[in-house]
Amino acid sequence: MHRVLQQPFKTAVLVLVWGWLLLLVLTPNLLVVGASVMTRDPGTFLSLPLNLDSYRQLFDPLYLDVFLNSLYMAAVTTIFCLLIGYPFAWALSGLGKQRQTLLIFLMIVPFWTNSLVRTYALKLLLATNGLINNALMGMGLIDEPLKMLYTEGAVIVGLVYLLLPFMILPLYSVFDDLRQELLMASHDLGAGKLSTFLHVTIPLTLPGVLAGVMLVLLPAMGLFFVADILGGSRNLLVGNVIKNQFLDARDWPFGAAASILLTVAMAVLLLAHRLSQRRLGEEAQT
Amino acid sequence: MKKLALAGLVVVTLTGCSSEEEPKVLNLYNWSEYMPQEVLDRFEEETGIQVVYTTYDSNEAMYARLKLLDESGDYDLALPSTYYVNKMRKEGLLEKIDRDKIEGFEKLDPELINLEIDPDNAYSVPYLWGTTGLAYDAEDIEGGEVTAWEDLWSKEYEGRVMLTNDMREVFHIGLRVLGYSGNSTDPDEIREAYEKLTELMPSVRTFNSDAPRMPYLEGETDIGMIWNGEAVMGKEDMPSLEYVYPEEGTIVWLDSFVIPKNAGNPDAAHQFISFVMQPEISALISEDIGYATPNLAARELLSEEVANDRTSYPTPEDLTNAEFQEDVGDEAMQVYTRYWEMLKSGQ
Repeated sequence: MHRVLQQPFKTAVLVLVWGWLLLLVLTPNLLVVGASVMTRDPGTFLSLPLNLDSYRQLFDPLYLDVFLNSLYMAAVTTIFCLLIGYPFAWALSGLGKQRQTLLIFLMIVPFWTNSLVRTYALKLLLATNGLINNALMGMGLIDEPLKMLYTEGAVIVGLVYLLLPFMILPLYSVFDDLRQELLMASHDLGAGKLSTFLHVTIPLTLPGVLAGVMLVLLPAMGLFFVADILGGSRNLLVGNVIKNQFLDARDWPFGAAASILLTVAMAVLLLAHRLSQRRLGEEAQT
Repeated sequence: MKKLALAGLVVVTLTGCSSEEEPKVLNLYNWSEYMPQEVLDRFEEETGIQVVYTTYDSNEAMYARLKLLDESGDYDLALPSTYYVNKMRKEGLLEKIDRDKIEGFEKLDPELINLEIDPDNAYSVPYLWGTTGLAYDAEDIEGGEVTAWEDLWSKEYEGRVMLTNDMREVFHIGLRVLGYSGNSTDPDEIREAYEKLTELMPSVRTFNSDAPRMPYLEGETDIGMIWNGEAVMGKEDMPSLEYVYPEEGTIVWLDSFVIPKNAGNPDAAHQFISFVMQPEISALISEDIGYATPNLAARELLSEEVANDRTSYPTPEDLTNAEFQEDVGDEAMQVYTRYWEMLKSGQ
């Protein structure tokens, strides 16, 4: 009690943070869990009795297919983000402080625009009469416009575009912490560039990679508006199915169960992240 | 517990919509691009009531929102299509319309009032009616006479077809092509329609109910479904966009004003309906957005060009085999929904 009074600011922050978490994170999630075990009701959306039918429905081949396809699209998105983000973060960490700040600032600027608006902008680029086709045809590289919009490829482009910063930022932070002494020590001990990269750089940046993967893979499965706008309103992502359950089919329990599936998948990834960090921590100590 | 959970969900899902307590506001919940800005401006000017215009792109979305908000009275007017009036009326989601406060009701086409969906129009006042038919870009569809829904299945249109993002409409064409009613409740017929539609799916490039003319104008699709008003608006920008009443029958719908239960400002809602019912305003709306007005006095004011445009005002022959959309009941809806999900998941 004495300490609480001594640190009013700290207490206020703690109350705020915990209040925030309880009110805006825990409560909504509990409601989703609650909804998922109730019964679909055309009149009132939800009714008793409690049951697990919605979870059984997740194993319906129809939705299993959507889930797998969604996972595939999210995985491709993640790989592209990693392929672009890893070298980018590496290069970024090697620059002078001022340039780093500038580049990170530039990366964050697009966040000031709503992601829906940015997705529509992408549509203008990819459309049959869009900028890319017009430019390619103007240069005489193609005769017929490419059909890029309303394809899985267009959706992946959209997802990579929206999620890339979430890959770069955690990677940048691990590269920033990567101590040059370790790399030099590796060289001194006779390791070549490749060997150093494989045995020192990669293991030490792995937590960043995992954090980036977590921040990209799961959200990618939920960004339904990207599939709606760039994919032609098909059920390409789990997010589309969830949205349809709530808005069109009015099967809230199933929509809730599907979103819990995503939450559980996220928890598994978090756990993997924790384990990898612990392993690295132990290695560092020995 | 149920109420509590629901209340909580409402708060969580709809935090963005706080209710407006000002009396001088009309909350209008309408389809996108379904009311000319000029009409809203003139209403505000004349009455001093500010119109807050919110849009939806499907009956399902509108219904779910209103159902969810149930007693909050966030909206004063909405415009459900034909069978949704029936559904919402039966479920007690609507306020009765006070006919004494509506001016000009007697000018409405006798064929479009007192329908089965709402006997004696106790809960609804017709706004516009229209059709869902075939559209094609005459520049890109060479020589091909497009006359029937069946033509969409032609292999040459692979990757060039657009469908509306509307479950009932898409199944309607599947059912009609097979010779069934577009309002079928028979699970076997619906399954057959689904199987027929899966053959169409490789041709389908996109679903769109925001603005079905756009994929044609953008050059993404060359043939497919469209609402007649969208065809009229689209033709202004792209003269080669043609509208066809398909042989198997077009889909006819009637959108009506309804006042959701516990509307915050029912007086303003009545005022707005009366305002729109003025022949001059109804005519302006029909000319501007291309759908047909049920207001006979307004039809006399239409310009020759619009009045004779078969896209907006079909002839009786155009409506051969045409069907009104009807409520099919929750059980059939679940069958439709499941097949719809399968279609959209590429199965």
